[in-house]
Amino acid sequence: MCQHTSHRQPIFCILPPHIIDALVQRGTPRQRARALRTLAVDNTIRALRSTPRTIVPRGRRRPSMTAAEGQKQRTIYNAHNTETLPGDVVRTEGSPPSGDQAVDEAYDGLGATYDFYSLAYNRNSIDDEGMSMLATVHFNQDYNNAFWNGEQMVFGDGDGELFNRFTISLDVIGHELTHGVTEDEAQLIYFFQPGALNESVSDVFGSLVKQRVLNQTADQADWLIGAGLFAAGVNGVALRSMKAPGTAYDDPVLGKDPQPAHMNDYVRGFADNGGVHINSGIPNHAFYLAAMQIGGFAWEKAGRIWYQTLIDAQLRPSANFQRFASLTLANAEKLFGAGSPEHQAVSQAWNEVGIAVT
Amino acid sequence: MRIEFQTEGGIAHFPGLSQPVVIDSEALTAEAASELTRLVEAARFFERPTVVGAPRAGAADYRQYTITVEEGGRQHSIRLADPVEEPTLQQLLHFLQTQVRALRREKGS
Repeated sequence: MCQHTSHRQPIFCILPPHIIDALVQRGTPRQRARALRTLAVDNTIRALRSTPRTIVPRGRRRPSMTAAEGQKQRTIYNAHNTETLPGDVVRTEGSPPSGDQAVDEAYDGLGATYDFYSLAYNRNSIDDEGMSMLATVHFNQDYNNAFWNGEQMVFGDGDGELFNRFTISLDVIGHELTHGVTEDEAQLIYFFQPGALNESVSDVFGSLVKQRVLNQTADQADWLIGAGLFAAGVNGVALRSMKAPGTAYDDPVLGKDPQPAHMNDYVRGFADNGGVHINSGIPNHAFYLAAMQIGGFAWEKAGRIWYQTLIDAQLRPSANFQRFASLTLANAEKLFGAGSPEHQAVSQAWNEVGIAVT
Repeated sequence: MRIEFQTEGGIAHFPGLSQPVVIDSEALTAEAASELTRLVEAARFFERPTVVGAPRAGAADYRQYTITVEEGGRQHSIRLADPVEEPTLQQLLHFLQTQVRALRREKGS
């Protein structure tokens, strides 16, 4: 991990693993916390290197014998409140509604996300080769989360005290599926700035999936991620706000939304994989500003620029905000021309969040 | 027995939910304290490596849990990530999550 400069932790980079283990078991609470994070990062980096990827990286793809052009393939599983994945098949492509709200929301949400990528960017599913879209609902008990496990989406029911079921927000379904798209394309490393970009890309396209279904222009959209997820009584409107990062919630139990909107407020630290869900507020806000400046349906121009950047071979897994911003500008120029309103809007948006690009 | 339990990650970072929570068996009912001891033993907690499992390549929004147990002069920490597949660790995790919810309700009431 010490070769990855963005993950550098000076003390632990020079310590052999058995010393780090000793710090975990016998160190002060602060030493233990830092050593645990180091081990977790180290383990994940090793996993990234050694785990066979389900999705073949770009450039090494083979034509699929099973992929049907332009046909979605959805399978929804029920984990019956256990942690066993994927669970039992409860709905497959073309079958009628099941009557289970979470199952049907997942099915419809995957369909809307597939249609979004297909119609807006001519992308055929997660891997652009018609990959089946798999989702498990009713995962675990009182589970307050949704995640992408590298192969499929997983949705909890929420505990009813803080959170409702996680299929309730279409943008959350779009967010999770987009993690699969990112894994297929740029494979942005899930730590620090590349991880925050990974998160931001999921928020951008998750929001655009919702905007397209609602047929909203940029100025009509709420730009919220996870609206409707909070249970009654929670003081907040959503998980995040792309329009106003840091304002989505302020609750006695959840705390205050920690997202910054500008590089001046960038949060340094190891929590949350180095702030992947925190600092994503900065590129999120840049997208919002660009989309608002361009106007119209955000998926048509701003979204197109971000999508071309995501699939741009020059976007490397370790990309930082600056690199990503420069590539969005280059793609805006390629798509719309140097000095075009779109090109200027992207430049201005990044400058407004404290990332200078010209 | 004293346990420090921390949950991190997930689809969003909530500062209020990511703070370490201390669960002291002396503050639990006799029945709950006994159950906690049983779960820690069943999970062979002190024999576990520090990091149990790792997220798959490309995974995102998974939650991570850090559990530190202090008992009889010994201390051990382990770190887990979703999905936790080992049944005895799942049961220990569920117990701790139930205690955290109870503490939260107590605090809020």
